[in-house]
Amino acid sequence: MCSCNCEQPLVPSIVEVIDIVDETPDVRSFYVKCSEGGVPYSVQPGQCSMLSLPAGEGMFSCTWQEGNEYQHYAIKKVGLLTEELHSIEIGQKLGIRGPYGNGFPVEACKGKDMLFIAGGIGLAPLRSFIKYCFKHRDDYGKIDILYGSRSYADLCFKDELFNLWPQEKNTQVYVTIDNAEPEWDGHVGFVPSYLEELNPNPNGKIAVTCGPPIMIKFVLQSLEKMGYIDDQVITTLEMRMKCGIGKCGRCNVGSQYICVDGPVFTRTQLRQLPQEW
Amino acid sequence: MQVIDKNKIVPLLDRLSKQSEVFVPTVKGSESGFYSWNSLNGAKEIALEALNVYHSPKNVLFPQTERMYSIEQGKQVFSIPDTFQDEKSRIIFGIRACDAKAITCFDDVFLTHGYEDSFYATRRKNTIIIGNACYQPGANCFCSSMGINPVQPDADVVIHDAGTVYAWEAITVTGQQFTEQVQDLLEEKDLGLPQLKPFSTEFDYDGVVEKLQGMFDHEIWHELAEPCMNCGTCTYMCPSCHCFDIQVKIWGDKGYRFRCWDSCMYTEYTAEAGGGNPRPDSQDRFRNRFLHKLEFFTERYDYPLCTGCGRCISVCPNGINIIDIIKRIKEVDKIV
Amino acid sequence: MTDITLKIREIATRLLQSDQVDVFVGWEKGPQEYQTRPFFVRRVEDVEKLVFNEYSIHNLTNYLLKYRDSTDRVGLVVKGCDSRGIVRLLQDNQFKRNRLYIVGVCCPGIKDPLKIAKNQSGLACPPNNEEIADKCTRCLVPNPIIYDELLGESQEPHNSGERFSEIKTIENMDPNQRYQFFEDTLTQCIRCYACRQVCVACNCRTCIFDEMKPQWVGRENSTTDNMMYHLVKAMHMAGRCIECGECERVCPVNIPLMLINSKLVKDMDHFFGSYEAGMEYVEGQKPPLSVYNPDDPDDFI
Repeated sequence: MCSCNCEQPLVPSIVEVIDIVDETPDVRSFYVKCSEGGVPYSVQPGQCSMLSLPAGEGMFSCTWQEGNEYQHYAIKKVGLLTEELHSIEIGQKLGIRGPYGNGFPVEACKGKDMLFIAGGIGLAPLRSFIKYCFKHRDDYGKIDILYGSRSYADLCFKDELFNLWPQEKNTQVYVTIDNAEPEWDGHVGFVPSYLEELNPNPNGKIAVTCGPPIMIKFVLQSLEKMGYIDDQVITTLEMRMKCGIGKCGRCNVGSQYICVDGPVFTRTQLRQLPQEW
Repeated sequence: MQVIDKNKIVPLLDRLSKQSEVFVPTVKGSESGFYSWNSLNGAKEIALEALNVYHSPKNVLFPQTERMYSIEQGKQVFSIPDTFQDEKSRIIFGIRACDAKAITCFDDVFLTHGYEDSFYATRRKNTIIIGNACYQPGANCFCSSMGINPVQPDADVVIHDAGTVYAWEAITVTGQQFTEQVQDLLEEKDLGLPQLKPFSTEFDYDGVVEKLQGMFDHEIWHELAEPCMNCGTCTYMCPSCHCFDIQVKIWGDKGYRFRCWDSCMYTEYTAEAGGGNPRPDSQDRFRNRFLHKLEFFTERYDYPLCTGCGRCISVCPNGINIIDIIKRIKEVDKIV
Repeated sequence: MTDITLKIREIATRLLQSDQVDVFVGWEKGPQEYQTRPFFVRRVEDVEKLVFNEYSIHNLTNYLLKYRDSTDRVGLVVKGCDSRGIVRLLQDNQFKRNRLYIVGVCCPGIKDPLKIAKNQSGLACPPNNEEIADKCTRCLVPNPIIYDELLGESQEPHNSGERFSEIKTIENMDPNQRYQFFEDTLTQCIRCYACRQVCVACNCRTCIFDEMKPQWVGRENSTTDNMMYHLVKAMHMAGRCIECGECERVCPVNIPLMLINSKLVKDMDHFFGSYEAGMEYVEGQKPPLSVYNPDDPDDFI
């Protein structure tokens, strides 16, 4: 039976937290599945779910869905709900509804080289796409991952970043932190400037970026400078959401609702929208 | 033509309200609105002959506060014992074309574009709409300019004021079935319908959307928004403003989630948990409201989210006038 | 009033031309005469649109909040009641006196454009009084108390009858009756927050009602949440309300908000007085509830 509650899209179904992993001092990963087994619905890379505790609901990008086994959400502590989420323990029941949004164009990107550019918690939504590429490794060309955070401690998914992903075929991972640290011998500096330093050739490449709005804005500028045309650049946006189904009116950018028409937009689509994100 | 004698309206409402909750335009104290006929004890001052009532019937299909489902919490527990679907049968009696069009807007918002809002859908499915054709536009009315025919409201049945009787016109299949139920109160009569009186304001709305598409960064917004204090009065009195918030009320282990009207005029509306806000300034919110009504909604649903009822003009504490704003937008080329 | 209009234009022209202010806040005529509305002049060419007429009812001091984070020097027109709003903002450290050029107008009493708009709208409602605005019938201060330039002839207060007579009626109700009265009144509220937005004393950067962490007051439209909203708002007004009456005027559902505010005005004067908010500006002086005094009465706690 379908447990996604599609007849009543605003009413959550219930899942259970089966594991919690600390990623950084303020980012935690939650593994969830239905108590009777399986996932509540199938999520495509880049799509989101509305997770809830009794205290409130919040929209989170699904960082990975492992078959019918579990969904993974990496969540940064920023407000009331996320603070509560960070205080729960394994076994906690959560409300969940979704999947929301368009997701990444995984099919259209097949055969291309991929360049993922993320800052901070912005790696969370990209992770689903990155893992999808690795799962279907032969469908994609070279994969470059450029990721930056404020400090080493703030880097999410360290095991994947430093151990797993670099071992993947034809893959390069570049990591940077904002300020120098004694133990850090890697690159220091902001993501957009590191990107320009690396200057990846735009030929046959799709760039996917997510991070704080200010980083996205500079990354988009840098990509343009390096010769990426608008259709080659994809980003995923975030706005405050309540319903997730394009009714409550709150997440509009122009006539588009981030919850249903986004969160993933190409640069071409983004140019059609007012600068209000 | 079928007609109903005006003397039979009260008996009709009395009868209908035995099976359904009937919402009728009435005056109540210093207010007027669509109030439930059975809740109006004593003096029932029906306002069918007035231009319209102060509060639109938006509350009937989209209550200002609506409980959605109950929740229970405990150690690690979170469950949803009940979902509240309101299946009561309702009749909105005597709605004007502007407010009826606002319901059409709601139908498009809540029932189309990928998701059907089950709470609205249940209520809507069980609601019959009786329109009241409008032949005498008021001082702030401009529905005709927004593409609405005031004498043909979007309704199941339309009544037309023809002196001592209302002409009765069944429009939809639901309307025909409804008409059969009240057949004994109707009679056949030959009569002419009144002539629609001229509007005090008419303008050509064509081209406004295209114009606005290039005006997001126009300096005129600063000037237009300056008197606005971002109170939410216009949004709450508007028959077509549909934005809502989802909130929770909980005591101990039990509570419920509800939704309630929200206003794009408030800072909190788009404030993100992380501290950012894409529309931090009063002017940003003002612009979004007018662009949503006049441009964005049309881009999504093909017609504007303003039905020309004029309520916002009457209630704005600072004299902001949407007709004036549309006219200013139309003149923009001449200004720059 | 034509005279006053001409003088206001003259002053605005002078201030803008001599670069004494960046913006001048007054009124302009809307599409209908009664829709006189706040107007913001930055260019001398626009000065001609400024008017002062029988509908210039808005308390423009609230707009100063739009400029509090800028460096703009503001000229503005105030009536007697509005001028107390300036004292409010100065006392609350929201604005510096030296950024203001205040044009005071001795107020002859104003009509309420909202009432006329409602009467003319055709919406079914009992007809509203089109004469002097309700708030002017309680007027105590027709002549501005703080200004750089004063226009018009000094006026007598337009209030009639005994001050606080309505409050006394409510004080004399038995508690159940009184509770019922407020329950009936406040269930009408649609929580649009217009009363907060027009209030010059509501100058908190983040209002407690917008605070989400924690959320102090529920957003439900229910007796409980509505009462909570109004009680909290009223308490925040104690000793700070300058009785301009704008909250009550703009309420779209006619809640007699000034009843609540006036009760607090009366009690503040009784317990901490003699005291009237915003009646004079003395640098550094605070409203009684903004400072602790060991002699503060506490027998009502």
